[in-house]
Amino acid sequence: MVHSNVAMIIGSNVVENHPVAAKWLTRTKEKGAIIISVDPRYTRTSSFADIYCKMRSGTDIAFVNGMINYALQNNYIHRDYVVAYTNASFIISDKYSFQDGLFSGYDPSTRKYDRASWAYELDAQGNPQKDPTLQHPRCVFQIMKKHFARYDSETVCKITGSPRDIYEQVCRVYTSTWAPDRVGVWLYAMGTTQHTHGTQNIRAYSILQLLLGNVGMAGGGINALRGESNVQGSTDMGLLFHLLPGYLASPTKADANLAAYIKNYTPKASDPKSANWWGNYSKYITSLLKAWYGEQATRENDFAFHYLPKRSADYSWISLFETMYAGQIKGLICFGQNPAVGGPNANKERLALHRLEWMVSVDLWETETASFWKRPGVNPADIATEVFLLPACSSVEKEGSISNSGRWVQWRHKAVEPIGEAKSDLWILDALCKSVKQEYASDGVFPAPILHLAWNYGNGESVDAHREPDVQLVAREVNGNFTRDTSVQGKAFQKNDQVPSFALLQDDGSSSSGCWIYCASYPGLEAKDNQMARRNKQDAANNIGLYPSWAWCWPMNRRILYNRASVDANGNPWDARRWVVRWNTEAKRWEGDVPDGGWPPQEKLPFIMKPEGYAGLWATSLVDGPLPEHYEPLESPVSNLMSSQQVSPAIKLWHTSNKEMNLVGDFARFPIVGTTYRVSEHWQAGAMTRNLPWLSELVPDVFVEIGVDLAQQKGIENGNRVIVETARGKMEGYALVTRRFEPFQLHDKVVHEIGIIWHFGYNGLVQGDSANVLTPHIGDANTMIPEFKAFLCNVFKKEGGA
Amino acid sequence: MKAMLIDATRCVGCRSCQIACKEWNNLPGEQTEFFAAKGYQNPRDLSAKTWTLITYNELKVNNRFEWVFGKRQCFHCQEPACATACPVRALEKTSAGPVVYHPNLCLGCRYCQLACPFKIPRFEWHSPVPKITKCTMCADRVAAGLEPACAKACPTDAIIFGERETLAAEAENRIHRNPRGYVHHVYGKDEVGGTCVMHLSNVPFAELGFSPNLPRRSLVQHVQHAMQPIPFLIAGLGIALGAISWIVNRRIELQEKEQQQCPQPTHDSPQ
Repeated sequence: MVHSNVAMIIGSNVVENHPVAAKWLTRTKEKGAIIISVDPRYTRTSSFADIYCKMRSGTDIAFVNGMINYALQNNYIHRDYVVAYTNASFIISDKYSFQDGLFSGYDPSTRKYDRASWAYELDAQGNPQKDPTLQHPRCVFQIMKKHFARYDSETVCKITGSPRDIYEQVCRVYTSTWAPDRVGVWLYAMGTTQHTHGTQNIRAYSILQLLLGNVGMAGGGINALRGESNVQGSTDMGLLFHLLPGYLASPTKADANLAAYIKNYTPKASDPKSANWWGNYSKYITSLLKAWYGEQATRENDFAFHYLPKRSADYSWISLFETMYAGQIKGLICFGQNPAVGGPNANKERLALHRLEWMVSVDLWETETASFWKRPGVNPADIATEVFLLPACSSVEKEGSISNSGRWVQWRHKAVEPIGEAKSDLWILDALCKSVKQEYASDGVFPAPILHLAWNYGNGESVDAHREPDVQLVAREVNGNFTRDTSVQGKAFQKNDQVPSFALLQDDGSSSSGCWIYCASYPGLEAKDNQMARRNKQDAANNIGLYPSWAWCWPMNRRILYNRASVDANGNPWDARRWVVRWNTEAKRWEGDVPDGGWPPQEKLPFIMKPEGYAGLWATSLVDGPLPEHYEPLESPVSNLMSSQQVSPAIKLWHTSNKEMNLVGDFARFPIVGTTYRVSEHWQAGAMTRNLPWLSELVPDVFVEIGVDLAQQKGIENGNRVIVETARGKMEGYALVTRRFEPFQLHDKVVHEIGIIWHFGYNGLVQGDSANVLTPHIGDANTMIPEFKAFLCNVFKKEGGA
Repeated sequence: MKAMLIDATRCVGCRSCQIACKEWNNLPGEQTEFFAAKGYQNPRDLSAKTWTLITYNELKVNNRFEWVFGKRQCFHCQEPACATACPVRALEKTSAGPVVYHPNLCLGCRYCQLACPFKIPRFEWHSPVPKITKCTMCADRVAAGLEPACAKACPTDAIIFGERETLAAEAENRIHRNPRGYVHHVYGKDEVGGTCVMHLSNVPFAELGFSPNLPRRSLVQHVQHAMQPIPFLIAGLGIALGAISWIVNRRIELQEKEQQQCPQPTHDSPQ
């Protein structure tokens, strides 16, 4: 960030929620960079920005599509970059069309797209046909020009409610980074993702960044500011329901055996210039199975692939809680999760917990979820769920790694002994696994996947309260080793040697790796080999602050992804003042950051994870369209100005399939836009901060931020108790009347928005109503992430209140 | 001499400094309700339990909306009126920079409170033997070669610590480098003879609640002549008020203890 000329902050309140990241923005600002904050509310980030532009919640795509249009119409694009490194020149099938908000291939009965008509036109070799002049009427560039032309600034501002002069200033300032020697950085967070079109929001950002040539550059990129300090690590390790570690797909019923699985997920490339890195899929899944099942995974038994559960349903958050509400889930383990406060439509999710036979809460405090059975308004005698509370260690009471937003994996040592009976997550998981194994030893329908798990972390066969599993052994397993004496790429390795790079992983069972992208993080058997524990402050040759010997970064300690896009065809940096990598013609090697593959320039294309090797301005991988298109949130105060499709046509509508407790509100009854957010002083669902007196002192209660105009209309004064109501529930809080929320002038009406912090619940030193009783069960078309950030509500002064 | 420079244009109002201060100095959390003052500010004011405080100021400056965060704490004057006013030298200006406080010497006369041009020292009304409290610039940390806790915790370098001369020059430099970004005044550089906590701001200091018209010369002479006869009178009053406060607090404590002994439902409903 410190190298940026312009920083765009949208869907993120980086200053409040990631103050340390704000330090780098401060530095770049002092060097003359322009900071832009786009948010429905003037936040602490806006106060720090040079330009603040307001935008109604849920209209990111209109806002950014307008910026893309501005760049395309004025030719503010980095043309060489766009032609050489993106799929702008690719020709699209003549069956593709777009009409009134619908892309071709839509089936209204299933609410799904058949994506065949979005495909590239291929030549005889199976490569996409291209027109490097970008003139072909069906090339991606021309289709984009037409698609985005509909988003002129007048139309955009009628949707977003942004002041047009400021909006145009944002377009002008940000697109100035098209010049090769100017770079723009894009920052976003949950304000972007938590929408029914969250993935497409990010697509829009990506398209603009690619057009401007800002990807792979120092001071560029699309930066997800993570909602948790180790969210990056958890997704890397496969915590999401559709993934195995290392972003491998979790198998479904369609993957009958390992060969079928590999065939289904390994992309093919016929262009010899495409590295097509995912072509190595077979090596990574086989090595993962070897890490999990060790000697029990053999070529003869398909490396135990049949032990993996096959995904047969939607296991996303909303779906799980709907299923639980329907009484079809028996037990729940909540590891550091507090759905009673953090889940959408929290009233329904709390009731869903009633239907469980048992629930385990592993946490630092007794959370609202752990005590759902004795919460205000319920009778414990009516609830049969058996609840267990396991006290867990805090981050300073245990050793392990943490992966930050920049993919740096940093090793942390234990600072203090745990309090009372608190145990590390690792100890709890180890004990759980050993106990389950013991149960299966005597009985079970399909015991082999449990009994054959390779499970030995140096603390004995049985559960021992005083013996912690060795977390270094876990880290070594994640890196992986050779399972027999072997020779790879001319190098000889002995059995049990650590694998030094994922480029050496094999699909013949001779290597293991618990997470292929972390291979090289622990290349030896000694504690000193732990690359994540490195703390050397020496910078790389390019002196741009990569600090390659500080901790370790996946993949292969590469600090900036797609860095081969930061140079031209000859390997010369677009911007020599802050070069990331460059080709040394004499030494015939790359200098600077670890390059995205060491091939000479021109031998391979820079976007090595894409089958064609080009970045995707056009994408067929998303279920809701090849280009971002504006749709309104599920609950919206206006009809969609862009088309007759009010909401994203590809989202699952829970209120039609599961009617109970899934009411949707309309503008007549709920004319105000509501959104939720966090403050610096509290953390997530609040258990870790509402139990600390110092933080409770700073923000002791729920507050609702209301603009001055709306407060006047409603007769609300600062400090009044107010009720906020949606179709799902109502909650109470203090009114904070502020000029920082202003009304939005939309195409046919003025709309107000209010905001509520969502940290509160009925436990802790300070307590208050949970904002998530207001939010709906509706998710993004691709990821199912709930739409927390935009809903319809109403607000009233509480009768008899202060 | 050591000093601190606080730059409001870098401050993002995260309040890490408020927490770090309490953590290092072992100050308890205060029971607060909603927001006691403007914006997100909490607690209402400095107190014996709160030595530094971030203020939230929603302003319109040059027709532009601004949300500016101010930091309240002791200024650690070069010639502190509080130390001069103290009849028993319980307050002392150290050569290192911090104005420190010796509780074992304090009479509780509160003369320093009257003398301080910035209204910083606070009185422990809740204590049976009340003392004066205020920010010490973490004199113990400074003596050990560390920076004050608030400066250490600040994620955006809005608070920096160093030699006073260097910081004063740095402050002038920042204004020089970005003349449109700052009010052309380093608050504390010359006020009351100069202080060891200096501020930069992009809005007039009065908007952040700073007294705008303090004299440039030291207040020490002023204080000595005008107020020296009074201290013992005040001490007497202080002791009397302290005694009343002790009795009241003792009763509250006893009541709380009684309540704790009664069996209570584990979970109260939220208010």
